[in-house]
Amino acid sequence: MDYENLKEQWSEIEDKDGVRLSWNTFPSSRMEASRLVVPIGALYTPLKEKPDQALLQYEPVSCKAPCRAVLNPFCQVDMRARLWICPFCLQRNALPPHYKDISHDQIPPELHPDNTTIEYRLARPAPSPPIFVFVVDTCQEEDSLKALKDSIIMSLSLLPPYALVGLVTFGTMAQVHEIGYTECAKSYVFRGSKDYTAKQVQEMLGLMASGLRPGMAGIQPQPGRAPPPMGPAARFLLPVQQCEFQLTNALEQLQRDPWPVANDKRALRCTGVALSVAVGLLETSFQNAGGRIMLFTGGPATEGPGMVVGPELREPIRSHHDIDRDNIKYYKKALKFYDNLAKRTAHNGHIIDIFAGCLDQVGLLEMKGLANSTGGHMILTDSFTSSMYKQSFARVFDKDADENLLMGFNASLEVLTTKELKVTGLIGHAVSMNKKSASVGETECGIGNTCSWKMCGIDPAASYGIYFEIASQGGPNQMQQGPQKGMMQFLTYYQHSAGQYHLRVTTVARNLSGPSGDPAIAQSFDQEAAAVLMSRIAVFKAEVDDGPDVLRWVDRMLIRLCSRFAEYRKDDPSSFRLEKNFTLYPQFMFHLRRSQFLQVFNNSPDETAFYRHVLNHEDVSNSLVMIQPTLDSYGFDHEGSQPVLLDSTSIQPETVLLLDTFFHILIFHGETIASWRKEGYQAQEGYESFATLLEAPKEDAKELIQDRFPLPRFIVCDAGGSQARFLLSKLNPSTTHTTGSYGGVSQSAQTIFTDDVSLQTFMEHLMKLAVSGTG
Amino acid sequence: GSPIPPMGQPMQPGMQPGMQPVMQPGIQPGIQPSIPQQPLDQQFGQMNLGGAPPAPMQQQQQMPPQQTPLNQLYPSDLIGQPFQVQELDLPPPSINLPPNTSVTSSPFANCPPKYVRSTLNAVPTTHSLLKKSRLPFALVIQPYTSLHDAEDPVPIVPDQVISRCRRCRSYINSFATFLDHGHRWRCNMCNLTNDVPQAFDWDATAQKNIDRWQRPELNYSVVEFVAPQEYMVRPPQPLVYLFLFDVSYAAVTSGLLATSARCILESLDRIPNVDRRTKLGFMAVDSGLHYFSIPPDESENGDPKMLVVSDLDEPFLPTPEDLVVNLSQCRQNIETFLNKLQGMFQDTQNPASAMGSAMRAGHKLISSTGGKITVLSASLPNIGYGKLEVREDKKLLGTSKEGSLLQTANSFYKSFAVECSKVQVSIDMFLFSSSYQDVATLSNLPRYTGGQTYFYPGWNAARTEDAMKFAQEFSDYLSAEVGLEAVLRVRATTGLRMNAFYGNFFNRSSDLCAFPAFPRDQAYVVEVAIDETLTKPYVCMQTAVLHTTCNGERRIRVLTLALPTTETLANVYASADQLAIATFFSHKAVERALGSGLEAARDALQSKVIEILQTYRKELAGGNMGGGGLQLPHNLRGLPVLFLGLTKNVGLRKSAQIPSDLRSAALCLLSTLPLPLLMQYIYPHFYSLHDMPDSAGTPDPDTGEIVLPPRINLSSERIVSYGLYLIDDGQTQFLWVGRDAVPALVLDVFGFEDRTQLKQGKTIMPIIDSDMNARVRAVIEKSKDHRSKGVGSIIVPPLYIVREDGEPSLKLWAQTLLVEDRADQGVSLQQWMGMLREKVVQ
Ligand SMILES: [Zn+2]
Ligand SMILES: [Zn+2]
Repeated sequence: MDYENLKEQWSEIEDKDGVRLSWNTFPSSRMEASRLVVPIGALYTPLKEKPDQALLQYEPVSCKAPCRAVLNPFCQVDMRARLWICPFCLQRNALPPHYKDISHDQIPPELHPDNTTIEYRLARPAPSPPIFVFVVDTCQEEDSLKALKDSIIMSLSLLPPYALVGLVTFGTMAQVHEIGYTECAKSYVFRGSKDYTAKQVQEMLGLMASGLRPGMAGIQPQPGRAPPPMGPAARFLLPVQQCEFQLTNALEQLQRDPWPVANDKRALRCTGVALSVAVGLLETSFQNAGGRIMLFTGGPATEGPGMVVGPELREPIRSHHDIDRDNIKYYKKALKFYDNLAKRTAHNGHIIDIFAGCLDQVGLLEMKGLANSTGGHMILTDSFTSSMYKQSFARVFDKDADENLLMGFNASLEVLTTKELKVTGLIGHAVSMNKKSASVGETECGIGNTCSWKMCGIDPAASYGIYFEIASQGGPNQMQQGPQKGMMQFLTYYQHSAGQYHLRVTTVARNLSGPSGDPAIAQSFDQEAAAVLMSRIAVFKAEVDDGPDVLRWVDRMLIRLCSRFAEYRKDDPSSFRLEKNFTLYPQFMFHLRRSQFLQVFNNSPDETAFYRHVLNHEDVSNSLVMIQPTLDSYGFDHEGSQPVLLDSTSIQPETVLLLDTFFHILIFHGETIASWRKEGYQAQEGYESFATLLEAPKEDAKELIQDRFPLPRFIVCDAGGSQARFLLSKLNPSTTHTTGSYGGVSQSAQTIFTDDVSLQTFMEHLMKLAVSGTG
Repeated sequence: GSPIPPMGQPMQPGMQPGMQPVMQPGIQPGIQPSIPQQPLDQQFGQMNLGGAPPAPMQQQQQMPPQQTPLNQLYPSDLIGQPFQVQELDLPPPSINLPPNTSVTSSPFANCPPKYVRSTLNAVPTTHSLLKKSRLPFALVIQPYTSLHDAEDPVPIVPDQVISRCRRCRSYINSFATFLDHGHRWRCNMCNLTNDVPQAFDWDATAQKNIDRWQRPELNYSVVEFVAPQEYMVRPPQPLVYLFLFDVSYAAVTSGLLATSARCILESLDRIPNVDRRTKLGFMAVDSGLHYFSIPPDESENGDPKMLVVSDLDEPFLPTPEDLVVNLSQCRQNIETFLNKLQGMFQDTQNPASAMGSAMRAGHKLISSTGGKITVLSASLPNIGYGKLEVREDKKLLGTSKEGSLLQTANSFYKSFAVECSKVQVSIDMFLFSSSYQDVATLSNLPRYTGGQTYFYPGWNAARTEDAMKFAQEFSDYLSAEVGLEAVLRVRATTGLRMNAFYGNFFNRSSDLCAFPAFPRDQAYVVEVAIDETLTKPYVCMQTAVLHTTCNGERRIRVLTLALPTTETLANVYASADQLAIATFFSHKAVERALGSGLEAARDALQSKVIEILQTYRKELAGGNMGGGGLQLPHNLRGLPVLFLGLTKNVGLRKSAQIPSDLRSAALCLLSTLPLPLLMQYIYPHFYSLHDMPDSAGTPDPDTGEIVLPPRINLSSERIVSYGLYLIDDGQTQFLWVGRDAVPALVLDVFGFEDRTQLKQGKTIMPIIDSDMNARVRAVIEKSKDHRSKGVGSIIVPPLYIVREDGEPSLKLWAQTLLVEDRADQGVSLQQWMGMLREKVVQ
């Protein structure tokens, strides 16, 4: 089997269908499946951009209820009888009347073999234009607030003119700005310390049906006055073309929170109330209408429900160690508050994005559910003045060729399977829709016990890990001819930003394995997809379990996988061999173990929440960069970049390194290069090649940043400089302070001060354990 | 000369111009003779001031009591000699003090009746004599007689040398005596000998000795001391006005919001702000609280911001800045705001008013400084704190259960008012509802905070008359130079004790009345008890009002009244002041009405007048039943008719037709109006215009004041069918056009001949080119002139034209003011007198 060829094939499928599977041949028995170690899984990007894909302008043809599978190239169609057989439930369905002209030469696009993924634009219109509610923290330095205001004002020009916009600001108190009011600036103010119920918020904003409040017996609204056309919420949410002036004004007039802050205190910041008010604002009038609540926060919540730290400066915000020691005063309460809010928001179909512009933590750990459950973005930056923030924020409003925002709203993803396969769960930014079907498996992996999930926010990059098991009563399907196939269909309904509902259908069919021990299974292993799918499980476990437990689980699974698929003689580590499509997998796991996703203590809890959030959003290749960063070397001895090992040996005095961890892009100048650069040779005549050498990684870095979201942190550093620690922390410690330097390792290689085991040691252990059969 | 000298400036030390009109005993304020202006030195020369005190001073103590003749008792027959309205215009019985009672011979040494009036101008020496008299002993105190200082200036003691008795804390006054070569003074209240302060005779500014006998406090019974530091708990607060606008549907559609906003805008220059510290704040209220943040004029963006708080449970301030702003520094932006405010709520449909919550928020907003909360509301507070219900039931009116409607519906309004008083917040209510608004409950707020309830039932700005009346009143209200953070206390000669206090304030301790803001349009009644036998020939009662002026000065206004004592009942009766007595019983009746109901209040009034008549008959007339059989001394002949007027006042009248809001508002007036206005309210002014003397309606050649026609008794017998009359109770004016009014008269007065074309009801007098029209208008105007009545008031009574043969309900309403007539369930004066005679004789 040609592994490169296979890789290419998988890559093509990924381009076409947005799907990468851990196993591309499905075991045909539960027994066989149980020995795979790595579960059958798909990393699926439902809205993956496909520029040349036809958009069908008619309603899809669906199988009878309850199946509702959509007609696809794998269906058997009886052209004459105008019937089709559903491969999922095997029922016969009549083709609708307008398919009467169907023939072998004239088939509708959805039946074309190339169109395993196809998209329909449905007749059902979105209930309202997309909504954007800006929730702005005013407890900030003037320059930071100014930058933030400018960025939001700028974003108004990026929105479609019919999009509805609203503004909530907060500090000691939360304010909802009534931008529809033109007499003067007007806002509704909520006490920052109070936990308002949804009903209270709606009453206080006058959003109840008649604008009235209970307990006012005998008071009737004035007769002869119709309620305003768009309902009471129209006072707060208006089309941007109509209110741009008002909103811009309101933003420009925004001042720092006026309440005085003592020197030994943090500003009072009622993030929780502000969010709950914003959620309440959309809740009554815009349930299940696509909308984003965009939170911009410059610090931690210090007031009211959802506070993550007290206002006393001497009281530090919780660290991983505090959490570990259960030394957390506000954590659990805050977590519960935000999780409930997240649940409510997801139920309403709205998105919460979190933009943090603060050197310190803002409480992302507690708030993470808001973004994770609603498909929102999480952007963690030092300041709203940073380009990292500005560019990332602008990128949220990226558009497609038709000038439509690259974002979908209120999506649901439903998975159908043929009877051999059952879906066990999903890991990604979604919530369960609690839909039971024949496709739902017995076990649970991630968000399980359902065949359908809701994504309030979805974008072309959003990728979901979907996990499967083999049904207990499987076995080949006698009725089918040729190689037996297992199939899954992904149905993604979503509100397109152009205002219509869309349905994207991806149908995946793979061979089922032959009799027990079929080598096709091992050959179909996509180690990259598998590593990413396993990483998501590991992170999912880490969110609930202790760090060490998860690490042990990762190790155990790796050892078991190797025991199962490597070639070796029992108890002889030197005989250990892996097939080509398995060789990188242990490395991925090695780096995953060392990554910030599982080793949290070097980061703040907020950073951990952020990193994990991003991991759960990205596709296979981006996720791999996060797990195992790429390192490229630039030197005089070769043209352009050269990939080098993510190893301390790669640090050489006369090279420049370019590290991409996805979150950071770092250019590292070796010792000699750094000193030349300081001397300024690059500017001198005759040293053009040195100048080119310095420029090359910058150019490549620009390339990498191009379409990355969020924008990575860009670091340029020299050997021995303090910033170099970002690089060192990512390198395999082949030369640590405990190993000393010997054979094969360059004397000039960087010594890394770490207690981590090196990849070499790790592999030795792995081989020893794998061959011992104790895994 | 004019009776009120044009005084623009405060008094300077050593300069005592001939200021207030001399209230010589025996001269009533309204008809006082003019005092020609005299050069200062001449006045003082006549007063014999300068140099040593007059010699007879030392003999004062040895004078046996009762040497001075007191007023004589002139019995009169009430039946045979019917009451004539002019009797009400007579001055109170004169106060006949022993000679040289005062330390200087200043004619201003004793307190004029327009400031303090005693029910008894001869005080019984014992409690038992007082009890036997059945007359009340009380003071009617009206510390201010105008809305502005300039209209009635009071001498000021500016040097901060305040000499007070160590024991009873009385202020030195013209009835003190000096001993020990003038180094010490004896307190005329408690007899303690005190040191005279060193600086008493020293002018620190000019660095020279001053003549003690020129000190204002020894020459004037009404003076104002500039208070030094120790009279301040904190630096003087600025004048703060917080306006709470009702912006519910009712308030906006009635034009209340727009009119109030415009009126404030136009009155900004009238609001006292000499020290440029005056602050204004604004809130609008419907189901939410709308705060307005107004930036200073120098800031970049001058636009106001509206901050809405709908959390009514625990109102809070939405921002620490710019909610109550300096009038001078934010003038331009306040104007911008007020211009915008008129249209801000024009599309409202909100029927709710969270006024109770708004007031709590307002309390929070200004409690650090104190100030005035001005509520402008056209609806019942129907949501939030202090939420009220429509509790009025037409079926209850006129029954014994009616009284409950006059009581407070929600205890919040009392307890909150007390809370406000504590932090120097005073509340004024301007109420405009066209439906039930629970004036009874809302009026508690002004009642305990030194405020006032102004009631405009059914008000609508679409009626020019309504808009103008309110705009004028509100503008005057804003211009009034109110005092702040004030307390009132009355001290008296040993043996006397202030026993009960009536009026709008909070009784902080047994004898201390607290006023977060001290109004200039109200009077107070203090009942005095005689605890010990009075041995001196006269007693003193000294009222002191410690306050901060709206210009940020701490001052004490001191009013000292000396009254002779007597051991005989005849003297007591001969010196009793019928108007002061009626005022006292007006307060008592309100108290009774609120406590036990209207019936009880009326009954109490009736038994009281019977009691007085019986006492007089038994003790002083020796049972002699001469002529009609019902007698009173001359000076009390008006009592029965005043009591009848009281029981027939809209506040107390027996009727099933009077909405309780109207009654409550009337009760507020009955317990706050200054005496001249109160008398007019219970016995309205009535003028015949068609046959008025030639001088009436034209300026008096001597004073320049418009001459009013003679008053006539309030009886329809006085009305002829071809006549034209003005009935004026101070709150409403009725121009009565007889059914046979001749076209010539109608033409002369209204500009057309056809009487039936007259616009009936609320109106404004047309201005036409006719002498009669000018004179009628002059009379109507003059009848409203508060200044000539010696009171401060903002009330502009609306004018109703009533055709005798026109709209019956209007006619009926006007007739309710004819106190001597029989009407509805009320008796005529004749029946009243007959009934009294029956009861007294039996
Ligand atoms: Zn089917
Ligand atoms: Zn004394």
